[in-house]
Amino acid sequence: MTPPAESADTAFRVADRLRAEGPWEVFAQRIRRFEIHLNGRAIELERAPVLLEGYGIRLLRPRAEKIGTGFQASNDLSDEGIREAVGGAESVAARSEFPAQSIRLPGPSATGRGDVPVFDETLWDRPLETARSYVEATFRAFDPHRNEVLSFGSVKVTLVETSIANSAGLRVRYPHTVVETEFAVKATGGPEGAGPGEYWVTDMARRLDPAALPGQVADWCRFAQDVRRAKPPPTGDLPVVLPTSLTMTILPTVLGFQFTGGARLREIAPPVGAKLGVDGLHVFDDGRFPWSVASGPTDDEGAPAGRHTLLRDGAVSELLYDSLRGAAFDAPSTGNAVRGLGFGYRDLYKFTHPPGEHSTTIVIEPGSGGSDAELVEAAGDGIWLQQLGWAVPDQVSGVFGGEIRIGYRIRGGKLAEPVRGGTVGGSAVAPPGSPSVLASLAGIGSEQHLVGDLAAPTLLVRPLSVSGA
Amino acid sequence: MGAIILSVAGRLADGRVGCDYDFIFRLSLGEPFMPDLRDAEAELRAVLKRLERATSFAEVLAERTRGEGLAFDRRTTTATAHPRLRGAVVRAWGGNRWVEAACSGLEAAALGATAEALERDLGKGETQGPPPGTSSTARGERTDRPAHPMSDLGIEGMLGVAKEILGWATQVDGVRDCNVRIGWDEDERFYLNTAGARCYQKLSRAHGVAAPLAFENGRVEFDFLTAGRLGGREALDQFTEPAIRALAESARAMLSAKAPPSGTITVLLDPSVSGTFAHESFGHGTEADQFARDRSYLKPLLGQTLGPEFLTLVDNGAYPEGWGSIYFDDEGHPGQRTVMVDHGRFIGALHDRETGIPTGSPATGNTRRADFQSRAFVRMTNTYVEPGDWSLEELVAEAKDGVLLENATSGIEDPLGGQMQLKVKHGRRIEHGRLTDRVGSMALSGRVLDVLRSTRGVGKSDDFTIDPGFCGKGHSDMLPAGTGGVYLLSTAVVGVA
Repeated sequence: MTPPAESADTAFRVADRLRAEGPWEVFAQRIRRFEIHLNGRAIELERAPVLLEGYGIRLLRPRAEKIGTGFQASNDLSDEGIREAVGGAESVAARSEFPAQSIRLPGPSATGRGDVPVFDETLWDRPLETARSYVEATFRAFDPHRNEVLSFGSVKVTLVETSIANSAGLRVRYPHTVVETEFAVKATGGPEGAGPGEYWVTDMARRLDPAALPGQVADWCRFAQDVRRAKPPPTGDLPVVLPTSLTMTILPTVLGFQFTGGARLREIAPPVGAKLGVDGLHVFDDGRFPWSVASGPTDDEGAPAGRHTLLRDGAVSELLYDSLRGAAFDAPSTGNAVRGLGFGYRDLYKFTHPPGEHSTTIVIEPGSGGSDAELVEAAGDGIWLQQLGWAVPDQVSGVFGGEIRIGYRIRGGKLAEPVRGGTVGGSAVAPPGSPSVLASLAGIGSEQHLVGDLAAPTLLVRPLSVSGA
Repeated sequence: MGAIILSVAGRLADGRVGCDYDFIFRLSLGEPFMPDLRDAEAELRAVLKRLERATSFAEVLAERTRGEGLAFDRRTTTATAHPRLRGAVVRAWGGNRWVEAACSGLEAAALGATAEALERDLGKGETQGPPPGTSSTARGERTDRPAHPMSDLGIEGMLGVAKEILGWATQVDGVRDCNVRIGWDEDERFYLNTAGARCYQKLSRAHGVAAPLAFENGRVEFDFLTAGRLGGREALDQFTEPAIRALAESARAMLSAKAPPSGTITVLLDPSVSGTFAHESFGHGTEADQFARDRSYLKPLLGQTLGPEFLTLVDNGAYPEGWGSIYFDDEGHPGQRTVMVDHGRFIGALHDRETGIPTGSPATGNTRRADFQSRAFVRMTNTYVEPGDWSLEELVAEAKDGVLLENATSGIEDPLGGQMQLKVKHGRRIEHGRLTDRVGSMALSGRVLDVLRSTRGVGKSDDFTIDPGFCGKGHSDMLPAGTGGVYLLSTAVVGVA
């Protein structure tokens, strides 16, 4: 990984022309997007590139044991545009109140603890060509499959140059790459009478991996075919096996919200020491996890990204803070200022959002449950849940659930026929003594996978509520 | 559907496809915000005039956004000024494909560089016949003029409303806090094309949500009420003291809610849920770009009767002051009412200028871009179930035993497989024809056609509402979409969610 010597210094240029009293902060991005949209094997649309350069100015105005926060984003980099943005931020800061007496923004000494791998050199140098090459590799991966085709899809490459400056003297800038892929696989052919089936898959990562495509496409094609013959599951409380791709849609949203200073301020955060999960469950927040979409050398305020323990043996260990929410509790920032993230949606145009608090990459330490096959065997009679429709949970109550798009019955400790339709649900996280995914873990797999902003092994939960035929 | 190539400007020095990024970014370091997008008309027309030499058709859409909002709870008051962004996207017909370019900012130099990039792309086209479909020739200027603009209310006014809501909510035992969000967004769009269309619109959307939080023995629960529409302060009128107190009571009731039933049962959908049903079941399936991709289970069913005679589903971009209403779409077609299901018969889809060609259908005013950075897709506006003639009491009695699903939180479609998922915050059991116990959040799952065929009644217009929401295409391109309707009685699978 060789980042370019010079990344855009947009925030510095805005800061140099800022006429405002401190504390202030400028977060800026120069963004280049390259997109290929597919209609079957035809390229329907190429976007190459779409450009946006903008900044968000945050002003912090201490007064009478409170802090007024004001934020204004703009893509007008003229002197007048910056003046207007400052005026907008001052105006709303005068009407805002946050319960803290003072705030300490990250200073120049806070930055830099070596490289965090979030930058793909090939993508950076040849974004459109690399995306095209990936699309061609995708087509080739479908060649052996006679009854399954790509019906719809897109490959989006985003090159981001983030820069942050503040009144404490911080000047930090770094480049990073993001790739978003979306594919819909349509299955047809025998048996007679069965309609077409579709498997829809999306992913967000730091780089493209064409070498993995043949295996991935084979799995997608199998899932799309299995959709055609799948039947609804039984109704009842059953052991359920959750691969990392499924857990990713459930746990980070709840843990990332409830384990923060903001949740503590609202009296929603769990108390330190509360036993929420089983023995042997160790969960971390890691802002420097290699190649995660949530990683970077700093958080979105410029504080160093780090690793923090959320659960040790199932008990709450620590909470996560940004500078503002930390100030309310006299706690230092843990490097968890995050912009543009909510309800499972990650906005790459971060400069349009003020910093909030959230987890970065949730890391679940591998356990002794063994391989996926061993977890299935341990489940005995249950369900392997491959994909839910929209599982994103209620952040406050922790309840999650959704329609089964594709899964498999587990019978006698082996994967059996596919299931589809009906729902699976429960609580992701619940107060001590209440059933939840964390408190009902019957097996933690031994192999960790990174999917989006979750690095976790496969999990066996016993039981979850299944509603079907 | 023709291929579209979208680039921004220029070409790298070595001739690779791309652009001279630094050049373009320098160009965007320009003038301050202008008071009206129409002030940039000369520059925008210059782009079209220049492109007319190389194409049979070109169009430009300029956009500018602003707004403000307030987030308020017992401990914090956070006022925000919404992003002030402006830019333009230019699209031209290349003979066998569309080419498109977008720039950040509206300065003449940036627009000129964008035109230059398009000229190079157009030079690669094969023939210069007209583009597919009919080009809009609409001309008009429409600006919302709400009686009580949210911008006049200001942050101070919003804070006053929020404090009232918090006060009303926390009078209910066990409710200690209430998250209130109030705001407005102004979206100004100016569309010009070489066929003569000139469409200017300024849409102002006012919105609010109140969410009381109830606490008990370490557990926290909430309920919520959303409001949103084109217009001003009137959007917040439903935040009355009785409504907020009832909402807070509902949040407290969530703490003792029973588990929802599981399995295939009779379901009664409240207007927010039936609207989401209309959106997910038929709305996405009738976005005809999915027809073009052969990715809609509905495509072969056009013209067939799929539901009962009393069921009519509509998308209506011209719904007065609707959350998803538009005066013009982003191809210059006026927003309009399109009937998808007419008394049980599937008769219509949502079209852009191209997708209706196979069936001879005109564009329906549903081509929308999330913003000037995003591509155009066929999208919904306000999608709803038209009223029938059943009262709520009659529907509950007809249900006999089942569950009432209330307060939709999300939905997702399955355009090829014909499945759908709806999630709700809470519900009520229906036993012996009467509403009984509160039940917690749940998901509804089912085959759309089965749910349609099982529909046994729809409610009266007294209960009709359109709720504000945001819809994505795939997993991105979120834009405002209204959903609504009346009570709807059918059968589906439900379970905890």
